[in-house]
Amino acid sequence: MSAITLPDASHRRAAESQWAVETHGLTKRFAENVAVNDVELLVPRGCAFGYLGPNGAGKTTLIRVLLGLTHADAGTMSLLGYRVPKHRDVALARVGAIVDEPRFHGHLTGRQNLQILAAAREREARDRIEPSLKRVGLAHRADDKVSKYSMGMRQRLGVAACLIGDPQLLILDEPMNGLDPAGMAEMRDMILSLVAEGRTVVLSSHLLDEVERTCDAVAIVDRGKVIRQGSISELLAGASLVLQVECSEPDRARSLIDGTNIAAVIQVGPLGLGITMPGGTPRDVVAEINRILVVGGISVYRLQEVQASLEAWFLQVTSRLGAS
Amino acid sequence: MIATRFMELRKRRGLMIALIVVNIGIPTLFLTVRLLAHAFAPKSYGPAGGYSIYTGLVAGVMYVFGFIVAATLGCTAGSVDLTEGMFRHLVVTGRSRLALYLARIPAGLAIVVPLVAIGFTIVCAVCVFAAPTRINYDGVNVPAGLSVTGLENWAADHPGLVLCDFGYNGPGLPNVPCGPNGQIIKTPPGSQGPTLPTPAKLRAAAIQVARQNYSGYTSEFLYPSVSLMIKSGLWLELEAVIGLVVGLGLASVLGQRTVAVILMIVLEVILTPIFSRARIPHLLNLQRSVVGVATAHLAPGGISVFGGGGGGPGANHGNPLLVPESTTVAVCVIVAWLVVWTALGAWRMMTRDA
Repeated sequence: MSAITLPDASHRRAAESQWAVETHGLTKRFAENVAVNDVELLVPRGCAFGYLGPNGAGKTTLIRVLLGLTHADAGTMSLLGYRVPKHRDVALARVGAIVDEPRFHGHLTGRQNLQILAAAREREARDRIEPSLKRVGLAHRADDKVSKYSMGMRQRLGVAACLIGDPQLLILDEPMNGLDPAGMAEMRDMILSLVAEGRTVVLSSHLLDEVERTCDAVAIVDRGKVIRQGSISELLAGASLVLQVECSEPDRARSLIDGTNIAAVIQVGPLGLGITMPGGTPRDVVAEINRILVVGGISVYRLQEVQASLEAWFLQVTSRLGAS
Repeated sequence: MIATRFMELRKRRGLMIALIVVNIGIPTLFLTVRLLAHAFAPKSYGPAGGYSIYTGLVAGVMYVFGFIVAATLGCTAGSVDLTEGMFRHLVVTGRSRLALYLARIPAGLAIVVPLVAIGFTIVCAVCVFAAPTRINYDGVNVPAGLSVTGLENWAADHPGLVLCDFGYNGPGLPNVPCGPNGQIIKTPPGSQGPTLPTPAKLRAAAIQVARQNYSGYTSEFLYPSVSLMIKSGLWLELEAVIGLVVGLGLASVLGQRTVAVILMIVLEVILTPIFSRARIPHLLNLQRSVVGVATAHLAPGGISVFGGGGGGPGANHGNPLLVPESTTVAVCVIVAWLVVWTALGAWRMMTRDA
């Protein structure tokens, strides 16, 4: 069914949906391997959303199912409020995606490859080729054959291919792969500018540092299952509290703190004490530790809270799951 | 979409060069050599064109190579999006996969039909304009276009050639000793050899032979007629369409080009000639269902395919070498191949994981 034949009510309902991507019970199996396992995913509109997981977790498979590149075995999904695959053509008309490494016809130029893709979209897509090439910084190389492009240039051409559809939703699978630091910075800036325009960007990655810098919200996937999702600040609020203490007698300091009822794991290292306390520990405990050391006659040279990182939190969560 | 598909195929320089060389280059080179040979040594090399050259090129080179060229292009169109990674991008646009598949057919035809037409036009032009002025009938150069009386008169002037070289089925011919080049061997005076008939008897006998051979003489042509050229051209284009559509479907099913091209070549060069001529017990219907057998039966009159043919559509009259098949069945087989392979290729594209 095309956008022309869908009733207005369907379009209204889709426009009112607050979710750019919504899945319920989504499952995809390859023989015995469950690559996407009962996934419940909600991606709000107008944000940069990270889909994180280690290699083999099922990130790319989920993206392929959402885009209709492979069929789901169970569950429901919608893109921009339109059910897929029922209204796939309407939904995908406003979606741009890069899946795996973007590949093109090597014997054609960048511009010609985009012409082929624009011809498969609506008529207006042809008019967006030049602005898209300019936006991704490929205008000066648009008439070179793609076989001569570097990896970074192909990634940028992939983004240009997404942009010619004027997408409300971009789904980027490992967009930083193969990029040098400058390329990563450019890609990050581009993603942020797209979000600033009101678009939604979903990017899957195993580069936690990059996702933390780029995304507003994330979902963590492991072995096909979404184990956590939400805004980064909410997720990190549950992360452990880590203190770095530089003092005159680290070993005695450790003994003093161990003798209290403060729940902490203490390690003595070259930089002093590393004190790890569970997430949700009140900040008063930090002041209490300082008081215990000072009262115990230990000189405290430095007491610093180590900012919880997504990577540290991710490793914590996945290691707890591994242990259980 | 069709225009961009056409652009994508046309820009494959290596493939286009190969298609042009095979479909246009080979017949052009062959005819150029013949033209030059005749120009420099007309006594040793006959005219470049003519009816027999035309039928040989059409039924041999253009029929087979036209199919292979079209099949190669079809196999390329059916597989390269997948192998080069563009298929995924196209699916993600949301465009119907069926539409993506069907757009390849007119795009491929837009390349292959003109290629076949250009090669065929060159063949027609040379075969008509460089045709011989005399017919070679039973090994004898005979003026073309003679009436019955004209042929009889000519025979009367060349009794040796007619009596020694023309075929004759009937009684009443004098016994004449023949030497090389249609010369009657004359018995030297005073020798013991048989007595030759009188010149008048020889002329009368030659006229009798010429009269019997007149129908065979009139079926020989200097150059192909316009209607034959039109029918041949359409037949070659049909073969190219079949090659393209079947190749497209096969490559889409297999997901790759190389194996599909090999299978198409095997079909055209090995299986079709065998199935066209061999009468395999209990497998005749299977043989008739091979598309090459069907197109061989649709060959225009005068075009001899796989050693048979020449009878034109309709049974295999004058054509005992081909496996018998009616025109209706041949047309149905062709339509079925076109429909089935299109359906299979489209189905595979629609169900394949991108």
